[in-house]
Amino acid sequence: MIADPLKTHAAAAATESPLRRVAPVHARHEFVLEVNNFSVDYGVGEDMVRAVNDVTLKLRRSQVLGIAGESGSGKSTLVYAMTRLLRAPGVISGGDVTLNLANEGDLDDVTPLSLVTASERELRNIRWSHVSIVLQSALSALNPVLRVGREFNEVLKTHRKGMTRSQRHDRSVELLKMVGLNEDRLARFPHELSGGQRQRIMIALALALDPELVIMDEPTTALDVVTQREIINELNDLRSRYGFAMIFITHDLSLLIELADEIVVMYAGAIVERAGASDLYEAPRHPYTFGLLNSFPPLHGERRELAGIPGSPPDLAELPKGCSFAPRCPFVMPRCRLEAPPLTNIDGLDRSVACWLHIGGPSVRVPVELSREMSPLRTRFTALEDRA
Amino acid sequence: MKSLRLPRSPKVIIGLVIVGFFIIMTVIGPWLAPYNPSSTAFAPLLSPSAHHWLGTTSLGQDIFSQLLVGARATMVVALLAGLAATILSMTVGIAAGYLGGMSDEGLSLLSNVFLAIPGVPLLIVIDSYLPVSSRSNFFVIGLIISLTGWAWGARVLRAQTMSLRNRDFVEAARIIGEKRTRIMFTEVAPNLLPVLASSFLFTVLYAIGAYVTLAYIGLTSTAVWNWGTMLYWAQANNAPLSGEWYWFVPPGICIALVGTGLALVNFGIDEFINPRLRAGGLTSRQRRKLGLPRRIRLGLTPVIHSTSKRTVVAAPAKLVSR
Amino acid sequence: MRMLARRLALYIVTAWVAITANFLLPRMMPGNPIQTLIGKITGTVTPNEIRAIRLSFGLGFHQGLIAQYFTYLTQLLHGNFGVSITLGAPVSAILRQSVPWTVGLIGLSTIFSFAIGTFGGALLGWSRGSRLDALIPAATFFQAVPYFFLATVMLLLFGSDLHWFPVLGAYSQTVTPGWNLAYVSSVIRYGELPLIAIVMSSLAGWMLGMRNMMITMIGEDFVLMAVAKGLPRRKVIWHAARNAILPSIANLSLAIGLVVSGALLVELVFNYPGVGDLLLQAVLNEDYPLIQGIFLVITLAVLAANFLADIVYLWLDPRTRTVAAV
Repeated sequence: MIADPLKTHAAAAATESPLRRVAPVHARHEFVLEVNNFSVDYGVGEDMVRAVNDVTLKLRRSQVLGIAGESGSGKSTLVYAMTRLLRAPGVISGGDVTLNLANEGDLDDVTPLSLVTASERELRNIRWSHVSIVLQSALSALNPVLRVGREFNEVLKTHRKGMTRSQRHDRSVELLKMVGLNEDRLARFPHELSGGQRQRIMIALALALDPELVIMDEPTTALDVVTQREIINELNDLRSRYGFAMIFITHDLSLLIELADEIVVMYAGAIVERAGASDLYEAPRHPYTFGLLNSFPPLHGERRELAGIPGSPPDLAELPKGCSFAPRCPFVMPRCRLEAPPLTNIDGLDRSVACWLHIGGPSVRVPVELSREMSPLRTRFTALEDRA
Repeated sequence: MKSLRLPRSPKVIIGLVIVGFFIIMTVIGPWLAPYNPSSTAFAPLLSPSAHHWLGTTSLGQDIFSQLLVGARATMVVALLAGLAATILSMTVGIAAGYLGGMSDEGLSLLSNVFLAIPGVPLLIVIDSYLPVSSRSNFFVIGLIISLTGWAWGARVLRAQTMSLRNRDFVEAARIIGEKRTRIMFTEVAPNLLPVLASSFLFTVLYAIGAYVTLAYIGLTSTAVWNWGTMLYWAQANNAPLSGEWYWFVPPGICIALVGTGLALVNFGIDEFINPRLRAGGLTSRQRRKLGLPRRIRLGLTPVIHSTSKRTVVAAPAKLVSR
Repeated sequence: MRMLARRLALYIVTAWVAITANFLLPRMMPGNPIQTLIGKITGTVTPNEIRAIRLSFGLGFHQGLIAQYFTYLTQLLHGNFGVSITLGAPVSAILRQSVPWTVGLIGLSTIFSFAIGTFGGALLGWSRGSRLDALIPAATFFQAVPYFFLATVMLLLFGSDLHWFPVLGAYSQTVTPGWNLAYVSSVIRYGELPLIAIVMSSLAGWMLGMRNMMITMIGEDFVLMAVAKGLPRRKVIWHAARNAILPSIANLSLAIGLVVSGALLVELVFNYPGVGDLLLQAVLNEDYPLIQGIFLVITLAVLAANFLADIVYLWLDPRTRTVAAV
């Protein structure tokens, strides 16, 4: 774990990295976040629009979950609502979100906390210390009239009351070093820094209290490609060193292929496919996923004709009957327009898809593009048997 | 161009009603007045009664008539001043914002100077030099009031013009080759309407205050009845300390009411310009009925359990026979 | 620092404009007010005083306009503001006595008003939708009430009727001026009602402006960030307020102009020995030297206050200090 002065005595007891610990028995220990049948609306009553529809997902400790989708797919709404940070007129209309907090990093002492029913005080306690968030635009996320150092000082002071001022300063410097920034950045104002520097500061800030879960909302969208690459690499590095779980939201699926362990693809507020990253990349099952993958040319590999997805994302207030993707699907069947396919496990493994092509029974002929073989060698998720 | 939507906020409606009421009073006030306001025919210092709704002054004049007649001068001068000031600020502000460069520097300097000099003291100085005969002229008074109150609007309009100048549709007009003045009138000006309206109302508000202040000090002609003059006479005859509230309270309240009405309408315009200021949709009673907390709190996304509009069909996979 | 230099230059130019306006106005008006004035007072004041007055207007000898202007300027620099025809004393001496009272009253009331107004506005903006919103129509109404009217009502209510406060004057007639406790406490006591009157009239402006800015700020990402950090509520409010207050300071020039105008009349109502009462007398008697002197002093004081506000703004908003990003 990151050397945190107040935690050194607890950390000393758990000298092994949690990644190498024996897989715990209860789901609580295995999953840091459990989302069940979660729904979010904008507005209530007559003008209500459902932005997130019945989402269920689980996030393992130290795992990276990527959420991909177009704008309006509900991905940002989902994570903000999960942490109760969604602005008005957003309303949580169903389901539950449980955070399994490991007190002091001790995996034997795990308390579940339902974020949906938590009180303001409970939320304040876990915010930033257990769950932190990196917003999309670092320029608007930092208070423009305050020096960067004060933002660090503030979180440390609020959540680690025992630290002295010089300890806080040392810790801030350490955090900056972690993302490759010089300590003199602490004295700067946000507008004096470049976009890449600001985003790095946001990441350092997010990791300040050694949280169990870090949520990143399109952190690289506003950056140029080179900086984007650097930051992704740094994130990978930080994660393997410090073991936090991460939710990474983006509209660029190609970023997730190497960063994420598991990817969830969202469309019109619901999950349409969920699979391990390499499985998704090599063998997409949902037509939308297939379309997304074909929208970004890979740097290597054979030349492909770029297809894109015809049409535009649906108006959430006027969703079509049946599958929401049917109007744009190149493989649409009559059934798709009548009934919405439920998210169902397929391939006997930990992947699921919401598409009648795969769950409509043996009489449905699956298009060849959506039935590629998955490579037998899988580096992640090998022997994960039970789930509670 | 955004379409004009009727204001729904109660504040704005009340404001419009108040302003409308006083505009009507301006038009038909003198006609409605029961007596000649200058006529000293009545007994002095009568308390309000059926004959004299607001009593009489120390000279025996009917206060209610003074109030009704006085509305006209007060409102007309204020409106004139507001109009003149808005024209001035439009010319300076839009030109400065659009032309940029040295013109901008010069015009900005001009507006900043006039903004920094305190308005009413300057007004007093100018007015004190005016020959007494001019002081009854609405246009003259309106003009000098506008000379002291145009600078704020110019600054706001300049800022707004500058932000509009770089917008695409203006750029497009420029590329086609439209003349600069034409662009200013046909492209930029319509988008400035809300800001212009707000600036106009604010200036009218200022003008009422300025005019009443001048009258209170005695710098306007006492031949013309306005609310400020009423207060001047009331003060001169020691009405406040003698308890003759019916003399000095009504004109003050009227001034305050007009001002409040203007300010309320300005709120509405503010909300139109800045959507964040709009009241969020539901009243607190509606929210409570739906199970929502009374107030929206940041960081506490509310949780309700409503019947879902669209449920995920969890139907078992059926064999579709072809 | 370049910003400050620019603002200073602006104020110097403004002061110059005010001074020149003072010079030009009487000459632009129909009827030659200066000659009329001098004609009026000849015989009632000493020849020396006439000479001083003529000089203060720039009328040394029969000179052209430009020469008159320079005479006028030099006189100003020597402190010759002319002689008041009603009070018979040099204007500068008269001003030296009254200006401190005015500056003290207006200065203190502005500070109080600003502090209470922005604090209240921040709370109003944050608690939007709560019962506090009922304050808004009341505040709007108070903002529209003329200063002197409110002062008169308060005079009547609290001074005469209820006798809670003393009225009329800056200190009790029974104490002797000087740095003694009786005098100072009397000054405070007599100053309370005028101060309250001015504060109440100007409060609403600050409050409503701050409320609007707070609402805008709360929509910004960095405030959401403060909540996401798990900061206590008052710290989140502080984050928003710290940014929301900036326009109020930037608009100080407008606000101070209004406060000064209103405060002068309040002084009138309460017979406070400041500049306001003086101004009224001067206007009634067409005492141009005094009017001009008061105008100049007020303008200079307002400019100084503006400059102070600019310094504060520069200190509070770091974006104005640096020009380019790294």
